[in-house]
Amino acid sequence: MSENMERREVDVVTRTRNFVTLMLQRAVSEMAVEVCEQCGKCHASCPVSRHIESFNPRQLIAKVSLGRVEELLKSDVIWTCTSCLKCKERCPENISPYDVILILRNLAIRGGYDHPAEYDEFIDAVMEKGVLQQPQRVRTRSGERRDRASLGLPPAASPRDIKRFSEILRNIVRGGELV
Amino acid sequence: MRYALYIGCTIQAEQFGYEASVRETLPRLGVELVDMEGASCCGFPAFRSKSILGWLYLSARNLAIAEGLGLDVLPLCNGCHLSFIETKFTLEKDATLKGFINENLEREGLKYTGNVDVIHIIELLHDIIGVKKIGAAIERPLKGVQLATHPGCHAIRPSSLGRPDDAEYPQKLDDLVVALSAGTMDYPEKTDCCGSSLAMASGKTTLIIASEKLKAVKEYGFDGLVTTCPFCFKLFDSRQRAIQTAMSDRSLEVPVFYYTQILGLAMGVKPEKLGLELNLSPIDKILENIRGGDD
Repeated sequence: MSENMERREVDVVTRTRNFVTLMLQRAVSEMAVEVCEQCGKCHASCPVSRHIESFNPRQLIAKVSLGRVEELLKSDVIWTCTSCLKCKERCPENISPYDVILILRNLAIRGGYDHPAEYDEFIDAVMEKGVLQQPQRVRTRSGERRDRASLGLPPAASPRDIKRFSEILRNIVRGGELV
Repeated sequence: MRYALYIGCTIQAEQFGYEASVRETLPRLGVELVDMEGASCCGFPAFRSKSILGWLYLSARNLAIAEGLGLDVLPLCNGCHLSFIETKFTLEKDATLKGFINENLEREGLKYTGNVDVIHIIELLHDIIGVKKIGAAIERPLKGVQLATHPGCHAIRPSSLGRPDDAEYPQKLDDLVVALSAGTMDYPEKTDCCGSSLAMASGKTTLIIASEKLKAVKEYGFDGLVTTCPFCFKLFDSRQRAIQTAMSDRSLEVPVFYYTQILGLAMGVKPEKLGLELNLSPIDKILENIRGGDD
């Protein structure tokens, strides 16, 4: 690798770090200008709240407003959202518990807090192969197996230069870790 | 009409009935589909939970491939569509972020400008092709079949990002069902979530949430359920037995179809070309009614 190229790679890593900081700052400042009235429309609309008592988007926003973020990072509540977006759609103050939850998930993974193992599996698969899963042989109603070719479907797509792809993606993701 | 076809991970790995029926029906309606070589995951929602930047890169990367083909992109999955739309929106209002994404894309020989449109399949069928043209292509009207529509969360929310149909009163999938001469009607649970994304945190709750919709669809007297989302389909169809087991209720039997599968049937396409043998829900009776017992 030429010296120029090497410097450039370092440059990209450093700037990625700055970007993460910038994005978090933006997220927090956006929240600061909007005031949650605690009306509870998010809670009333949430399909998960009806079944899991500990999951309450209204309370979650209150906790974030009070700075009780670590408590949320430690709890499995932030992994219990089904991303239906009803809370975001119906909030009269344009606050989106859904987006806040996704930011908290980013922080939780970076901070090494517990999260469902499947997330790591999916993320690793995308990092290594570019896609969540490899083509399967799927079952028919009569119990036979079918692959893509047997249905006349073309080969599945994935990044051509997978090594390069993985390297770039890892670099971007790593930018969020503390050094 | 020429589009870059973005199939997405789940469909290309296992939801062959959707892909096969899309490839079979859309060309008959004058749509040319161009495959996207080198495409990757869109990053939504698993990757986004770890790295918002990584997610933006993945989505912009796929849009850049479509830009390279000079074509608007047609993602088949609701989640991929929302992911692309949100990425476009985010990068449009943030030149610095767009610059950063492009610096990385350049290393893969790609460039993102944001100049291609992202088309949802409901939008393509309803707004661009139109129900009139679809109606004219029907050879076997689905008369007497009552189908509940399930557009899926990510097809209708959040309206702030511009979705293909109304967040609280979606009607386009209904219009598309009616275009095939099948019947449909509104039902209170129509815009409710299937519960699929919760599976990683609480599999049991996912099945309970999904059971509520199946139960409603049955109680209102629908003959089946129609969707365009691979995750909703997978849960309602392929995991229907698991839903029954979780609820100890074997009567929760609902035939489930991708819209493009019933579109194909109505156009007179043979079931095997629409991947209908892969639907695990009990669709045989409806198939017999529609096909009139031939083939």
